[in-house]
Amino acid sequence: MLVQLPGGWNPLLGRLALDQIPYDNPILAPLFVAVVIGTLVMLGLITYYRKWGYLWKEWLTTVDHKKLGVMYIIIGLVMLFRGFIDGLMIRTQQVWANGPHSSGVFGAVHGYLTPFHFGQVYSAHGLIMILLAATPLLVGFMNIIVPIQIGARDMAYPYLNALGLWITAAAAVLIMISLFVGDFAHNGWFGYAPIFELQYSPGVGVDYWIWTLQLTALGTTLGGINLLVTIIKMRAPGMTWFRLPIFVWTSLSANIIALTSFPALQVALGLVAADRYFGSHFFTAGFGGNLMLYTNLFWLWGHPEVYFVILPAFGMMSEIFPTFSEKPLFGYVTMVAASFAIAGVSWMVWLHHFFTMGAGPQVNSFFSVATMLVGIPTGVKVFNWAFTMYRGRITYSAAMLWAIGALFMLLVGGMTGMMLAVPAINYMVHNSVFVIAHFHSMLLVIVYAIFGSVIFWFPKVFGFRLDEHWAKVMFWLFTAGSMLVFVPMYMLGFMGMTRRLDYVFNPAWHPYLAVMEAGIAVYCLSVLSFVMLLYVSIRDRVKNRAEADAWGSSRSLEWLTHSPVPFYNFAVTPHVNARDEVAWRREHGLDGRQPDRYVDIHMPSNTGMALYIGALTFVLGFALTWRIWWLSLLALVAIILLMVIRSFRGDDGYTITGAELERMEKDALRNRTRADGKYVTDGLGQLAGAAMAYSRNSPPMGGNSSSGSQSGI
Amino acid sequence: MQTSRKKQLAGIWGGPALLGLWASTANASVFWLFDPKGVMADTDLYYMIVDLLTMGAIVGVTALLVIWFMWRYHKGKNRGSYHPEWSHSSFLEVVVWGIPIIAVGFLAYFAVRGTFELNPYNPTILARDTQTAGKPVRVDVVATDWQWLFVYPQYHMAVANQLVLPEHRPVFFRLTSTSVTSGFFIPQLVGMIDAMPGMRTKDALESGHVGEYQGIASDYAGAGTSWMTFKTRIVSQENFIGWVHKVQSSPAVMTESGFNRFARPYINVHHRVVYFSQVPSGLFDRVLMEVMRGKTWPVPPQMTENMVAYIQKQSAEHRD
Amino acid sequence: MSSHGNTVDPKKTVLWDAEYHGHDVISTRSLGFFLYLLSDGMIFATLFAAYGVLSYSHNYFGGPTPSQFVHPWYTFTQTVSLFLSVLAYGMGMAAMKNRNRGGLISGLLGALVLGVVFLCLDVHDMTDLARQGITIATSGGTSAFIILTQVHAAHIFFGLIWILVMVAQVSSKGFTTDTVGRLLSLRMFWHLQAIIWVFVYVFVYLWGYIS
Ligand code: HEA
Ligand code: HEA
Ligand code: CUA
Ligand SMILES: [Cu+2]
Repeated sequence: MLVQLPGGWNPLLGRLALDQIPYDNPILAPLFVAVVIGTLVMLGLITYYRKWGYLWKEWLTTVDHKKLGVMYIIIGLVMLFRGFIDGLMIRTQQVWANGPHSSGVFGAVHGYLTPFHFGQVYSAHGLIMILLAATPLLVGFMNIIVPIQIGARDMAYPYLNALGLWITAAAAVLIMISLFVGDFAHNGWFGYAPIFELQYSPGVGVDYWIWTLQLTALGTTLGGINLLVTIIKMRAPGMTWFRLPIFVWTSLSANIIALTSFPALQVALGLVAADRYFGSHFFTAGFGGNLMLYTNLFWLWGHPEVYFVILPAFGMMSEIFPTFSEKPLFGYVTMVAASFAIAGVSWMVWLHHFFTMGAGPQVNSFFSVATMLVGIPTGVKVFNWAFTMYRGRITYSAAMLWAIGALFMLLVGGMTGMMLAVPAINYMVHNSVFVIAHFHSMLLVIVYAIFGSVIFWFPKVFGFRLDEHWAKVMFWLFTAGSMLVFVPMYMLGFMGMTRRLDYVFNPAWHPYLAVMEAGIAVYCLSVLSFVMLLYVSIRDRVKNRAEADAWGSSRSLEWLTHSPVPFYNFAVTPHVNARDEVAWRREHGLDGRQPDRYVDIHMPSNTGMALYIGALTFVLGFALTWRIWWLSLLALVAIILLMVIRSFRGDDGYTITGAELERMEKDALRNRTRADGKYVTDGLGQLAGAAMAYSRNSPPMGGNSSSGSQSGI
Repeated sequence: MQTSRKKQLAGIWGGPALLGLWASTANASVFWLFDPKGVMADTDLYYMIVDLLTMGAIVGVTALLVIWFMWRYHKGKNRGSYHPEWSHSSFLEVVVWGIPIIAVGFLAYFAVRGTFELNPYNPTILARDTQTAGKPVRVDVVATDWQWLFVYPQYHMAVANQLVLPEHRPVFFRLTSTSVTSGFFIPQLVGMIDAMPGMRTKDALESGHVGEYQGIASDYAGAGTSWMTFKTRIVSQENFIGWVHKVQSSPAVMTESGFNRFARPYINVHHRVVYFSQVPSGLFDRVLMEVMRGKTWPVPPQMTENMVAYIQKQSAEHRD
Repeated sequence: MSSHGNTVDPKKTVLWDAEYHGHDVISTRSLGFFLYLLSDGMIFATLFAAYGVLSYSHNYFGGPTPSQFVHPWYTFTQTVSLFLSVLAYGMGMAAMKNRNRGGLISGLLGALVLGVVFLCLDVHDMTDLARQGITIATSGGTSAFIILTQVHAAHIFFGLIWILVMVAQVSSKGFTTDTVGRLLSLRMFWHLQAIIWVFVYVFVYLWGYIS
């Protein structure tokens, strides 16, 4: 039943053999050594500072939505960096391999990457950026912020939340492993029929691609269910639907998209896997297959997916604009309506990704008009943000700058999207770098919103603000980099340059390619300034200590509780009286009021189970990629067994008594009013501990100083 | 036709000032999309300008509005008054929904019209062209890994990696591929269309401009895609006849097995052009049928695993 | 929206809700599981779409078409066993309402046995087809046929494991929030699989036989 493979296979190791490790590759081998050394140093440091116990108890086994969110964001940032390195490699290849007389090294005819390797670089770049950078970053923020914004103590299913994180981590590890063991796919991030069939991609690259995507799909689906139920079921009393912060609304609409669209991806990839593993004929050109079926199924997910990532970004912008305009969001109700309109229409537009496939003019017209309809609710959002600033009092803090940058990116990306949506235009620019420039404008909206949110919500999570100066330096460097890379890219699009060229045949394009390369250099500076930003902020963290309301003009519920947020979020569930509750309490002189009575609360226990299952999904993905059947089966059985065991054990959680809570709260308040840095100890571990003050394994007792240093507040 | 379109444009839009500015600062022929040399590309440009100006107007005004708000309501500058509670205005709500709705309605009209005019299977814009002179030319396009074979069924001949067409005669393409999906694109003449294995798509173009234009494989089709380019020459009708005779008298014939040899994976690093005389009729349909019956041209593993060695081997074999 | 002047009396406004104990565990879990089933339903919807696209005569590539290899009467026994399984499950749940542990367990065991019968019939059918040379690799059409039916069978298989686990949990733990909640979710799952089977039976077996 299983297909015949080109090349070797043995029962023990599947297709895995020593020669699959590219130790002779001049780029990968040093990188591999560097990664190994880096990992060893990390592990050594952890051991040296005896942080294993801390790491295990506070992070690896945690079910706290804030810590999980922080880990999502760390994964996202690391993958964003990896994606950027891919981008750097793409740009360097193109500026080098330009014109028939350009030189080549490392065995490439032109440039330094062979075509097959170049294909892997952009495929990995696209997949990583969308599914392992943008998605985890957004999911991370939704994880941290949504429960606090609705006044909940945690997500609806804390354990499932951890599971989602570790499966996402497994996907990230799987795609990173593909760098050093075997190859990655070269069929673009969205895959092409029939080029991913075994005849045209005999290696394991496509299999890595399939299982990485499947794992992210699984993780995202689990996370989506969790968020939906949390929003529907866990709202604090008084938090009616039309008092929800917009970020919650956009998370809701985004996750409805995720829940309903990811299955299409899972099926599409499952069928590709069937073709490759069982020799079925879903997407083959012959034997009664239908290769256009794949394209339809993929974009049936792929298009909603881009709105899945942009909607939370819109939500973030909708939180930042009012705060720094010191005014409620303009047109709250239409903002909600617009979010759902975008989500609804996102289902009817997928064909705009392949207008050139030769469907009839009626079909193309329908999808063209449907696509343009999305411009209406998106336009409403843009105007609402503009009118939020109108009659406001705008502070140009770094977070606000990023949000404004996102708005302008959206204008550019939207305008070019509306061009692509017209088939007559699309025929000329489809598959050209114009499309690349369009969607980078759009995806940069997300990156901008994310960096804005990092700055905006950092004090809520860690208790101190990021350094404004360096945050602005980074903003301007990043913006300069984006301009230098993507403005010439639009122009190249008008010149007819197509995408995915590992060799650029037209020397007339060279000046533009050179400008873009300069942009990459500026981008590198922006990464350095990000590192600097972190360094300076951590150094000055005492000075930058934040109040509960870190910006003084914040509006939604997350600013009611302490910064950093205690692990139980709210000692007593808040009663919500208005939209923008915190602003409401401030305006009525009710801010700073504390509950007068504390009752026992119940919290979920930590568990290592999610980590184990996540690790096993990695093993499963790896074993399937290399066709190590016994290991795949073993991993699958182990996963099921662990799930059964977990279901037998259950989770009774534990109780924090009202008295204990009251002590901790008083402590926090006292520390806050003192704000003299006395309790801030040095060392990054301590800092991370401060993330969510009063770690649950060591709730601070009384006012003695040792507990203070433990909690690090 | 082409000039009347441009006049119409000028009439509606008061002259594409933006474009003129651009064209005068940059070398127009570098911007292939702004320098169309055929009816199809010309019409594409027309719609692009309509869309660009409409969207540009709205987006531009929006951007200015935002910048003005940013300037006026800057905290501490006291330029505009602060209304901390103002967050709703029914009038503005109507405006913010109304403007995009009207704009989308306007653009949708052009989008649908353009889709029919440029329908690659039956572009009505070609049928309406008044400068047409002469019978249509038919070209069957077969994309292989990674070369283009242009079969001229009317002349029983084929050319690899070069397309030569007479001016002012409509050209109708049928396209397919032997192995994977590829894209057919001549920026200055006609937009993209997919060439898919086991399937037939169609396209058409017509040009009144003698010259040489770049053709590109616009869809990623594997390792050799970047070199899968071809030059398109639009020649006068007399020169075209002469060229046809030249090809027809070339020694290389394309038999069925010859085609199978030709279609093996080959990276066209040196832009080799080959003429084939005596092409059996029905070659295109036979390729189509064979692929549907399951014929593939697999890529040898060493090609994807070790590209360089493959290119060396290929050069040794073909001595090019 | 946010401000109403001085109409707020700070003494009377409720700012905290100490008595609020949040959500009901079972209904929260059921909602989540329902949402999961929604996405599961989408998986089948997509598979049906794929089946629809790949069920033209040319997709069978000149090979056998469903009208030649499906046996609606044989498959009808599968339908019956799955429906009886759902019925048994339902009777078990009725027993649970009466706090009748024995009744519940026998209902579950009945559902289990009938589910196993369903799977055995399916496996027999598939091996039979394979003997005639009709496999997943025969043509695009048979690929779609086999994937659709076997993905459904895989769901049944996992459902059976789950039933087994529930039998063990109910016998060892009795009726707790956990077990009752899971039984309710499992009921939704089992019903959904039966509903999907109706579509499979009608569109793949009946319609395939006729056309
Ligand atoms: C979210 C999605 C996303 C993002 C953000 C980006 C960002 C970038 N992309 Fe990406 N790109 C895609 C998604 C994305 N891309 C996709 C889907 C494709 C198509 C692939 C395909 O064809 O299949 C693509 C293709 C693509 C190409 C096209 C190649 C071609 O087909 O011709 C190029 C070429 O220049 C490119 C470049 C870049 C650059 C320079 C950036 C820059 O904007 C990057 C900027 C980022 C940084 C500067 C890093 C900042 C990071 C930090 C500050 C954190 C640091 C953290 C630590 C140190 C821990 N991308
Ligand atoms: C976050 C991601 C994101 C977002 C939000 C969008 C938004 C839009 N996209 Fe984009 N798109 C991508 C990511 C995104 N896209 C990606 C990744 C690809 C390619 C993948 C690949 O091939 O690898 C792609 C490709 C793509 C194509 C296919 C191109 C091709 O391959 O040929 C098209 C065609 O219609 C398109 C259109 C649009 C439109 C109309 C919108 C609209 O939603 C835009 C709406 C916004 C505005 C219109 C601006 C604001 C509005 C106003 C200021 C009011 C005035 C407006 C009007 C009058 C309309 N996109
Ligand atoms: Cu055939 Cu697309
Ligand atoms: Cu899209």
